[in-house]
Amino acid sequence: MKFKLPFNKKQPLLEKETPKEKESLVRVALTTDHFIQSIKSATNNPADLIIKSIPPNITLIYIDNLVDDQTLNNDIIANLLNNPQETPEAIEMTISIPEIVKSNLLQETVESLVNGSVVIHIDGYPQVLIGNIATRESRALSAPENESQVIGTQVGFNESLTTNISLIRRYIVSPNLCNEKLKIGTRTNTTISLLYMNGIANDQMVNTLRQRITDLYIDELLDSAVLAEMIDDNSLSVFPQMLLTERPDRFCDAILDGKMGVIVDGSSMAIICPQAFTEFFRSQEDQNLRWQIATFLRLLRLAAFFLSVYLTPFYVAAVTFHYEVIPQAFLVPLSESRALVPFPPIFEALLLEFIIELLREAGARLPTKIGQTIGIVGGIVIGTAAVQAGITSNILLIIIALSALASFTSPSYMMGNVIRLIRFPIIILAGFWGFYGIMLAFCFILIHLLRQTSLGAPYMSPFYPPRMKDMRDSLIRMPIPLTAKRTSLTRPKDKNKFEPEPVKPEKS
Amino acid sequence: MNKLRRYFIVLIPFAFLYGCIQTNILDKVGLTTLVGYDVGTEHKMATTAVIREVNPEFQSKVEVLTTENDTSKGNRMEANRKLSKKIMVGQMRVVLFGEDLAKDDLRYYIDTNLENASVNNGIYMAVVEGKTAPLLKYEYKNIEDIGQHIFRLIEQNVKQEYMISATLHQIAHDYYSVGKDLAMPIIKRDGELVELSGVALFKGGKMVSSLSARDSFYVRIVRDTFKVGLYEAVLEKEDVSSQILQKSTNKITIAFDAIHSKREMKLVNAATPEFDLDINIRSRVLEVYPDINLGDPKSVKILEKAIEKKMSKEIVRIIAHSQEVESDIFGFGEKYRSVVRHSNLTKDKWHEMYKNMKVNVKVKFVILRDGVFE
Repeated sequence: MKFKLPFNKKQPLLEKETPKEKESLVRVALTTDHFIQSIKSATNNPADLIIKSIPPNITLIYIDNLVDDQTLNNDIIANLLNNPQETPEAIEMTISIPEIVKSNLLQETVESLVNGSVVIHIDGYPQVLIGNIATRESRALSAPENESQVIGTQVGFNESLTTNISLIRRYIVSPNLCNEKLKIGTRTNTTISLLYMNGIANDQMVNTLRQRITDLYIDELLDSAVLAEMIDDNSLSVFPQMLLTERPDRFCDAILDGKMGVIVDGSSMAIICPQAFTEFFRSQEDQNLRWQIATFLRLLRLAAFFLSVYLTPFYVAAVTFHYEVIPQAFLVPLSESRALVPFPPIFEALLLEFIIELLREAGARLPTKIGQTIGIVGGIVIGTAAVQAGITSNILLIIIALSALASFTSPSYMMGNVIRLIRFPIIILAGFWGFYGIMLAFCFILIHLLRQTSLGAPYMSPFYPPRMKDMRDSLIRMPIPLTAKRTSLTRPKDKNKFEPEPVKPEKS
Repeated sequence: MNKLRRYFIVLIPFAFLYGCIQTNILDKVGLTTLVGYDVGTEHKMATTAVIREVNPEFQSKVEVLTTENDTSKGNRMEANRKLSKKIMVGQMRVVLFGEDLAKDDLRYYIDTNLENASVNNGIYMAVVEGKTAPLLKYEYKNIEDIGQHIFRLIEQNVKQEYMISATLHQIAHDYYSVGKDLAMPIIKRDGELVELSGVALFKGGKMVSSLSARDSFYVRIVRDTFKVGLYEAVLEKEDVSSQILQKSTNKITIAFDAIHSKREMKLVNAATPEFDLDINIRSRVLEVYPDINLGDPKSVKILEKAIEKKMSKEIVRIIAHSQEVESDIFGFGEKYRSVVRHSNLTKDKWHEMYKNMKVNVKVKFVILRDGVFE
């Protein structure tokens, strides 16, 4: 049985679309007065709507601050004043801006108006000229803060779609980079771009992804994270099945691997899919380091994942039920540190985990200026004081701190959050059922992971189904000559990245 | 969603019901680290348990309790009545037996401990000279936790290969296999210390004799391979040829550690039975007193010969002693059983045969290194 959220289902509301069709067929009025009236009523007469008349019969309509003032003044108004024209064709020749179209539909006119175009109406003609001179106000490119790395490019996506795509085009200089524009959100009309490499990406996957996006019937889309959740294979799972990244180099690497990318206008995170579970523990930095070091780091992250999820439950289970497994040398320090604690271990562990999570959440929400205080409060006041007051034991404090630290090593923040969350049910199970509970949770999670897919591709690949060749670049990273094949997760049309060369040419 | 609700209805009782299993929270249990069994009055079992308790008031303390009852579980219940914490045996590391008890029969004790799922099969077993209670109850000046101390004492000596290893697993194996008998270390109190004083030989479940601690080296060499052990041998005048012996002394003491030893047991005659026992030892000489010029290959050869002679003499003596008391701690019977088909060997039958067994001991001793100080 597969759970699906209602908005994932296809909901073509036909009766709603019919009046819309009619509306979009309304034509532009002939006279200026009528035209202004129709525009005003269509846009609900906003305060920033500016209507400018230029003799003899030209009217400019635009929304303040959405258009570039300089272009408007220098290239449009100045030109119109200097060479008064009377026909749309002549005006189109006069104005020296790159994007200018003619239209006779009111709906289209209004849409471009709110998009940052200037509408030029000539009295007596049933059509308008639409010049796109929208301002692109966006943050300057900066280092990706959530995915920082020591070695590698220090540039991240920003909130502008065009900037982001230009960033990608700088990395992949190829005509085969496909860029499909889609619009979703009945109210926000958000532009999103679907990017993939023609000749590498699997057509079926591209079609699936495109269909999933176009099938969405929602009124707003403000961030790519929302989109990722909606087009996931299983929206009810805690595990994300699509990667969100703000690194253009990581994005391009995935695209070149045959994956698909989605960029949403106004969001600084790009979606990459399909994505396997192990790939969430990769960092782009791994490609920039020597393979031995990269392998070590990947294994370290995997160990950190297990440590973070299972260390606290293990402590709880061992102290609550299985005192037999505690090594003899550890027995006395452990029982002495627990002697003063009045709570059962499960409560003690949940309390401390709760405190850590509180600190973490507070640290994330506070302004950076006050953020440092949290470190002091957390480290000194709560840590030391809790032990001295006899609420928790020293050893548990170390364990919890270690598992919190380990959960930060996940390169994907989304996956880090999952690690943060799934610890709690396991602690509770460990506190009730001991090691049996931990094993139960482990099996449950494993089975759940095995059942997941990402855009139809198996989530636990390359382990299940076992794909030996793909293992060379999964938990470990073999030297580049050995990883010439693209991962079969994406079913790429072109399987080889390059012609694999022998590692030691003189021997073969 | 209806299906989902049904799942929940099934799952929730599970969670609550399983939540009812008994917890053993570490600081709420008294951990028995060592148990000593003695013969009590009126055929009862006297149990002395070393229990570690952790209390907020005085960090941790060790309680030594002696109780008498018919069964070991009864003893545990009686001890429970005297303590503030539930007594658990999952952390037990050593089981000691009083000498009287060992001479009676250990079968019952091996069985109970083997059957108890919470008792580790790796626990050490040993025999105490005299009774266990006084050994455990004595207030040693420098030993805080007698339970841990004895465990570390035995463990350390077993790891160093000074003493034979007798874990519950090995004891049970030897006890239930036809053709091998138990051997356990013997410990005793020596002033303010506890000492490993020898090896106890068993016939079936009964202790029949003992060997000195020095002999445990030879027992180990014959029983299994030897890798790290250190040994000191005294060569008498008659063993050593006069060429290397200085006039004034009449014995040479030599300390060596075996780098590697290998023993091979071969049945040459099933009727008697007769065994060939070949022992190969490669070793490193650490100390020789009085000094002998080991730079001379000739004297090294002579020394090797002397040690071989001495060792085979000792091994023959020990095997003869074990034959006398009918305790086959070396496992000749197992070899016999594995080689002779349809032998239908039983413990009693083998003990009869063991008495008349003949062993040809051949020791090959090689000095690989003799120190770097020359």
